Amino acid sequence: MTKRTRTALLVSGIAVALILAALFLFQRKKSSAFAPERLSHGDDTGGRIAEFIKVKIFYVTEASLAMSPVYREIEVPEIREELYRKFVSLLLAGGEGRIVPVPSGAQLRSLHYLVGKEMLILDFNELLAASFPGGTTAEMEFIYFMVDNICYNFREIKKVKFLIGGNESKTLAGHVDLEKPFFPDFSWLKDE
Amino acid sequence: MKNSIKAGTFFAAFLVAPLLLTSMVIDFRSFDHEGYTRVVLQSERSFTYKVQDQPGRLEVRIAGRADFPARSQAVQNSVLLERVTCEYQGKESVITVHFKGDAAVKKNFVLEDPFRVVFDLVRSELPAAAPPRNDGAAPAADEKKPDALKENPPAVPPRTDGAVPPRPKPIETICIDPGHGGEDFGAIGRSKLKEKDVTLKIAYKLKKQIESRTGLRVIMTRDKDSEVSLNSRASIANNQLAQMFVSIHANSSFRKSAYGSETFFVSLQATDPESLELAQKENQNQEDPGENIQNDELKMILWNMAQTEHIRESSKLAEFIQNELNELLGTRNRGVKQAPFRVLMRTAMPAVLIETVFISNAAEEKKLLSDEFLDKIASAIYNGISKFIYYYGSLVK
Repeated sequence: MTKRTRTALLVSGIAVALILAALFLFQRKKSSAFAPERLSHGDDTGGRIAEFIKVKIFYVTEASLAMSPVYREIEVPEIREELYRKFVSLLLAGGEGRIVPVPSGAQLRSLHYLVGKEMLILDFNELLAASFPGGTTAEMEFIYFMVDNICYNFREIKKVKFLIGGNESKTLAGHVDLEKPFFPDFSWLKDE
Repeated sequence: MKNSIKAGTFFAAFLVAPLLLTSMVIDFRSFDHEGYTRVVLQSERSFTYKVQDQPGRLEVRIAGRADFPARSQAVQNSVLLERVTCEYQGKESVITVHFKGDAAVKKNFVLEDPFRVVFDLVRSELPAAAPPRNDGAAPAADEKKPDALKENPPAVPPRTDGAVPPRPKPIETICIDPGHGGEDFGAIGRSKLKEKDVTLKIAYKLKKQIESRTGLRVIMTRDKDSEVSLNSRASIANNQLAQMFVSIHANSSFRKSAYGSETFFVSLQATDPESLELAQKENQNQEDPGENIQNDELKMILWNMAQTEHIRESSKLAEFIQNELNELLGTRNRGVKQAPFRVLMRTAMPAVLIETVFISNAAEEKKLLSDEFLDKIASAIYNGISKFIYYYGSLVK
């Protein structure tokens, strides 16, 4: 084998490895490996530099069966639960052309993260159930809108449990068992 | 030159290594117990999966790419299992457990810490079911009569594993569950049509069809505009020894354009305190594969998951009904789905929840106002039920 042939083989080998690596990276990015990007927004007055994270929020839209993403930024507070609370507020705020599958008047009362159980507990006010429009699809839209968005953006949270008015509730509108926590089901999301 | 090779190799390894380190590794293990074989898929991360219980094998479809120890590996010293394979199809990883002979999933649940998907498999020596007709026609006279089923009393299929098999009986009683009622209106359409009224009307039409065409006994969880708790609905069906539970609903979505029909059977996630106890047992079992977990004990722990015994039949019933809805209603087929519906969990029989059409969609709500359309829905459900009875009859012969 000549030196030229060996060099050609080496170069083509590296090229194949690079292509394979790029394909793997692309595949990974498409599947599930989203991590919120950390950003710093400083000011020039010598004050505190605010830390932000860029999150990806999936909303229900009329156009698609799956939820479609938009990017938002949240300022990172010192307390982790406060970050989750801000994130949920952002979810509920919605945006133009985006459907927030939460009945009007429903508000988050409190939120707790159980580190050992990797579980986030969301306690909504009674209007969540009282104003809920009914229907299994609507129930699941609400549940997976909350659970998928939270677990997608905060990988330390593996499951979400819902309380209504501080108490466990059997169901939201007579269908899905609400007493157990929910794992994410990312088939509700449409990645773009 | 050597330096170039080293540099190239190192660079390639540098690029690939993080990917290997972060991919989802799934471990497979199985244990034979008295009367069943337990299969466990374990991962550091939770994952979503879909199960396809095929003749001769169990397919578990996992979203994304999963690292499996080998593309194909033999299962050593198993009564029921022959081989397990893993392949990638599009965006899914498909883990297939190949059986020795035929087997069926008796229980399927999820455990945590670490995340595990557990299947309990039992030997099934069931004859292949006759293919259901797809012409939407009513079944032949012999199929329709309960006596025809009685003439073929259930036989215990021969077993090789020494366990006492569940003894299925021919279907004699069907429980129809009209969703909601009383103060619980269910979903409400734009023209103020209430789901609770629609479901009761369809239930009556379906009851009439079943009784007149098959002579089977039909019970209803409510026969008027009254509120019945979800637990009571399941209790009514269980206490009356119903062998089929059909819950009727009209759907609603935050998307006003959503339309179509779908049929659900239950999905179970074991995450409650009782199931933690079960998790501990599974863990003990992992440490000592020789230890036997008593089936009765498991049943006690899973008392609120009575449906676990009937998942396979429930899936079949859902499939038959959904096919008929799709054919007769001509609306969007949203398919057969699984969800943790409370009313289905405690029913100890094949059980489905039917979302006929969307009351939140103006066009479909208008259809629901028509008696003729409600007749069509009842006929579609009846056709699906009759095909299931035919299928089930072949199981108990």
